[in-house]
Amino acid sequence: MNESLEKRQDWLAAELKAGNRAAAAELVDLYYEQIYLFMRRLGHSCQVSEDLTQESFLAAWQDIGQLKNGRALNSWLYRIAGNVSKVCWRRHKDSKQLSIEGIDVPDNNETEWGKVGHLEQLGQLRNGVATLPIKLRETIVLHYMQHLTIAEAAEAAGVRQGTFKSRLNRALKALRKQVISEDGEPS
Amino acid sequence: MREEKLGKLLNELADRTAETVRPDLAEDIKHHIPHRFMPRRGGMDAVNIIIDLRISKLAAAAVIIITMILCANFLGGQDSTNGGIYQNSKMLVKYLLGGEGFGRSNVLVVRTRYEYLVQKGKDVAYYGDSIDPEDSNAVLMQWKLSDGKYRVIFGDLREKTINAEELIKLQTQMLRKKTK
Repeated sequence: MNESLEKRQDWLAAELKAGNRAAAAELVDLYYEQIYLFMRRLGHSCQVSEDLTQESFLAAWQDIGQLKNGRALNSWLYRIAGNVSKVCWRRHKDSKQLSIEGIDVPDNNETEWGKVGHLEQLGQLRNGVATLPIKLRETIVLHYMQHLTIAEAAEAAGVRQGTFKSRLNRALKALRKQVISEDGEPS
Repeated sequence: MREEKLGKLLNELADRTAETVRPDLAEDIKHHIPHRFMPRRGGMDAVNIIIDLRISKLAAAAVIIITMILCANFLGGQDSTNGGIYQNSKMLVKYLLGGEGFGRSNVLVVRTRYEYLVQKGKDVAYYGDSIDPEDSNAVLMQWKLSDGKYRVIFGDLREKTINAEELIKLQTQMLRKKTK
């Protein structure tokens, strides 16, 4: 995270804690897309993702007093969103987790994407992520897809960095088994 | 496949699959920003919860909460009610642990009773912020009754109906103690 963004986040956190409604609106502008995509990548449908995004912000406003100084705003928000998602899975145990294929991958522009093998790899990876257990899937999504650093992602997942790295390794190991390398050999 | 390569593929998958988010979603969320957008304030909330619990059924839980409030006060936590929480908590602990001497009606936190009387338009005065909590004869709260007399609650939660002369005496005593 660059320094100016970090300062902006610190300012925003302070304003939120002071009860500034304009800051609350800015928080939405800054993060609503990210939180929505986070929900989608965790396997929720479009409609549910929208609802859960909204729920996450409501929970954030309610718990703004718990945001500690020096704690990254995005990690804190992702943590709330992650918890909201888990509560939703618990509530609807029987509902099906969608793979990221709910989000369309363009399949007709091979010239842009390069080799067919590469496309296949992405498809396999997409399916692989979808079959991961929730905890491992969240790890992959936070770090590789939401682009959080290890420290931020660990905080967002509510675990120590060591635990997060261990989960990440397990997730990558599981994914490696499912992705065939471009020369046709299992990875 | 090496971790680095797999990581790059995952990054690419994220970029390729990022869908456009409905722009109205932000506005929908903003409509739900609370008008009184204030972080929770622990102290008074906790006291209010204790009142809502009606005390006797959940005395143990109340004691735990009150102890936490007291600890926060003793350890330097700021009390936005100028000691009101401390006083109220002390009275509740006294009741919960002390037993018989304290009638249930008296135990309703005095400050809350004060607020209730104010709401009802009574001529009421509350001295909880300024009296010595150890002084059992100090007037904690007083209000005028319809017959011209005054109802007084003392520091040890005794209640008494007195006339204007007696009230002046009590207040004079309080002022003397304060100036000493």
